[in-house]
Order: sequence, then structure tokens, then C-alpha cells
Amino acid sequence: MLSFVVSEALVDLRRAGRVGVSAILLITLSLTALGGFWLMSLNLGRAVGQWRDRVRVVVFLREEPSTAALAEITRRVEALDGVQRVRYVGKAEALRSLRQSLGAQGSVVDHLPRNPLPASLEVTPAEGYTTPEETRALAGRLAAFPEAEEVQGGAEWVEGLARWQHLFQVVGLAVGAVLALAAILTVTTATTLVLHARRAETEIMRLVGASEAVIRLPQLLQGMVQGLLGAVVALALLEAAFAVGAPRLEPLLQLTLGLARAVFLSLPQILLLMAGGAFLGALGGLLARGRVTA
Amino acid sequence: MKLPALNDISFEVDKGDFVVLSGASGAGKTTLLRLLYADERASDGEIEVAGFDVTTLRRRDVPLLRRSLGIVFQDAKLLSGRTVFENIAFVLRVLGTPRRDITPRAFQALKAVGLSSRAQAYPAQLSQGEAQRAALARAIVKSPALLLADEPTGNLDEEMAREILDLIKDIWSRGTTVLLATHQARLAAQLRRRTVRLEGGVLTKDEG
Repeated sequence: MLSFVVSEALVDLRRAGRVGVSAILLITLSLTALGGFWLMSLNLGRAVGQWRDRVRVVVFLREEPSTAALAEITRRVEALDGVQRVRYVGKAEALRSLRQSLGAQGSVVDHLPRNPLPASLEVTPAEGYTTPEETRALAGRLAAFPEAEEVQGGAEWVEGLARWQHLFQVVGLAVGAVLALAAILTVTTATTLVLHARRAETEIMRLVGASEAVIRLPQLLQGMVQGLLGAVVALALLEAAFAVGAPRLEPLLQLTLGLARAVFLSLPQILLLMAGGAFLGALGGLLARGRVTA
Repeated sequence: MKLPALNDISFEVDKGDFVVLSGASGAGKTTLLRLLYADERASDGEIEVAGFDVTTLRRRDVPLLRRSLGIVFQDAKLLSGRTVFENIAFVLRVLGTPRRDITPRAFQALKAVGLSSRAQAYPAQLSQGEAQRAALARAIVKSPALLLADEPTGNLDEEMAREILDLIKDIWSRGTTVLLATHQARLAAQLRRRTVRLEGGVLTKDEG
């Protein structure tokens, strides 16, 4: 029985001809768009996660504290709500960092008459305190310290990045949904044409007592095969685009987002995309109705 | 105003009987047969076929009824893209017959109608008589309890028609109950079987 259903589905696929090919192409387009936006959102999400881990609030001190004063202020900062860790950066260390970040031009700091950089406290917010609101509140509390000259840092730009990620997700889903709808309609048309072409078979099947499942399964399977083919082509296109584009984009990603390398969809995500293709195709196949007698 | 296609019809066909349903075109023969294989629903009355109460039969159980029936029409309704053998085998494949049984059973049916030598021919290559033989083979390949034949000789000349009727008699003699609808009164008389006559949707004669 299974071999009958499968062979009929394959015959139907051939019968669908150009409309069948159009259906596969539309599913490919839909899943390529969806997968492409997913890929961008995935990598932006990684950047957001990475930057959320790196959120710091920096308290620049009016003067370099003595060892006792440093211990006292560190203790007070650590006692604040939402503080995970406090690290002291002395004037000398700040200057070293500046020299290091200037690279080849680092020697310019040697010509300074005196070290102009202030000592600071680098405050790492605790987990759950990295939202813009929480970091703003923490900065406000730290600014109230008499030793504090200025307080900098926060999570605003990370949230900006997160908003971009969300936007990619929404746009991806919207574009994917529109194309998916077109794909479903095309599969439905292809299957309806096939049902029209095979109405004689369907009539005979009904007359000899075939169950509805045996009559309908080939059309469901035909849609699923179209969907799976579309998904496989879409994944191949995405993989090829990623293989070509990722090495070229990685330096830019590193510079702008601090992301060392871009990643492709994981196996579960690939399987989900394929299942999505099969679902689109099956839905199109199911929606098709043949005008047959008996 | 709706007029009933059939009215006040009551008859029984025993297992193993051969009954001719006669009447002019439009008398209601086809409608009656369609009621029997649940392609139409009766607005009133009771119909029982091969142990199935067709009047109350649920839609999803209709295939079960039809598996016990063989149906042939005036038009052979062969699938044009398949050979004669494939047309017969199609029925067995649809019904989930084990693969190893399909070929022998299909050839057995073809042999029963004398069409073994034309197994690989396509419907377009067959004469009308051969096409009707193939349709008969397709109807009997699943060993039905009841054969419903709706004007199976309607498109054939007298000689071919006689051949088809002889084949149907052969099928009946092997134990299949037969209900044959025909408007050809002379042929019906030649069969010398019980005849149920319909006129204007009403049963007017049941004798033989």
C-alpha cells in the first residue's frame, strides 16, 4: 500500500509539470528569505548576548585612593543592589591600557608631561541587572558617591542592537509568511491540476472501494515532496551564500559587533526549516480539491 | 416541485441469483444501481446490499460496501495511460493486495474474460468488445459477491453484446450474484433469467 501511495505521489509530481516546479521555487524563495533573516537574527542575537555579558558601569574617581580608602569604597559599591563585581583600575593601569589600544602609536603617551587619566572602578552588574533601566539606576546610585567624578557606561546601545535583532526577526517572519502563502497557493494549484488530470483514477478508486486515506495520501505526499525539495534547495542556497559571504563579512562583524565569526543554522534549526517546507507543501496539497464524481 | 426518480420499488435478490433489470432509457435503472452502491442516497425506504444497510451507511463505510461489489458501465472507464494489465492490477494495488498476489490474480481475471493475449495493450488499441471485457476483468478481480452491470452492452453490436452476456453468465455460474441493467428488451429476453422491469421509476413487472 505504501509503495502504491509513494509511486502515485511521484507520478503526480511529474504530472504537475511547470506549476509543480513553480511551487517548489516559491517554497525555495520563502524558506530562503525566512532562513536568511533567521541567520542574521541568530548572529545579531549572539552579539547581543555577548555584549550583555560585557556591560560595565565605570566610576571615574576624583583622586587615586589610598589602599584603605579603596577597600572602603569597594566595600560600599559591592554592597549596592545589582552589583556583581568591582574592579579597580589605577591611573598607571589606565595609561597602560591606553598605550596598548593605541598600538603602533602607543609611544605618544610617553610624551605626556603627566598621567592625565583618572583612577576608576569598573562595576559589573549582576545577572538580571543589565537592562538599560537597571544600569541607569545603578549609575545614578554610583554618581551619588562623593568620591565619584563621573559615571559612564550602560546598556542602551546593546538594547539598540537587540531591537535590530527583533526587527530582523519580524521582517523575516513577515516576508517569509507572505512568500509562504504564495507557495501554499501554488502547491494548491499544482495539486488541483493533478487531481483534475487524475479524476478518472480517483473515480475508479472510489468505485472499487479505496479508502479516503488512500485517495488523499498521494496528494498530501506530493505536496510534502514539493515542500521538502524547496527546503533542500533553500538550504543549499543559504549554505552557499554563507560560505561565500561569511569570510568577507567577519572582519566587519568583528569591528562593529565584536563578533569573531558568524555561525550557520544549527542542525535542529535546519531540520525545523525542512519540516517547515514539508508542512507548507502538505498544507497546499491538503487544500486542493478535485472535482470528481462517484 | 421535486419528483421522485424511483417510487414504490421493492424486490430481493438472493445470493447466487442472476436478475435482469429492464426498462427504457430514463426508467430509473441507473438511479437504482447507484442507490445500491451508495452513490445516491434514498430519501425514503430501506436498502440492504451484501449485508450492508445502505440506507444508514456512514460515508466512511461506503468503501467497505464497494469492496464487495463489482461494477461495470456502458462506458468501460479504463484508464487510458495504463495497459489492460495495469488497469486490472490498479484495483488490487489500491486495495492493498500483497504484491506477490497481484500479477497472478490480474492474469486470472484476464483469462476469465479471454483477454490474456491483450494484457499489454492500451485501451485505445482495444475494440469496444475487448474494452468491455477488460472492464469486466477489473470488476471481478477482487472476487465481488455482487456484480452490478449498468448497460454493459449498450455500446456494442449484437454479436459482441452476446459475447459479453455469455461472459457475465460465466461469472454468475462461478457463484457471483449478478444484477444486470439493460434497455435492450430482446437481449433481456434471450437471457431467460428473472426480470425486474421499471417504467417511469416504478416497478411494473418481476417475473421469471
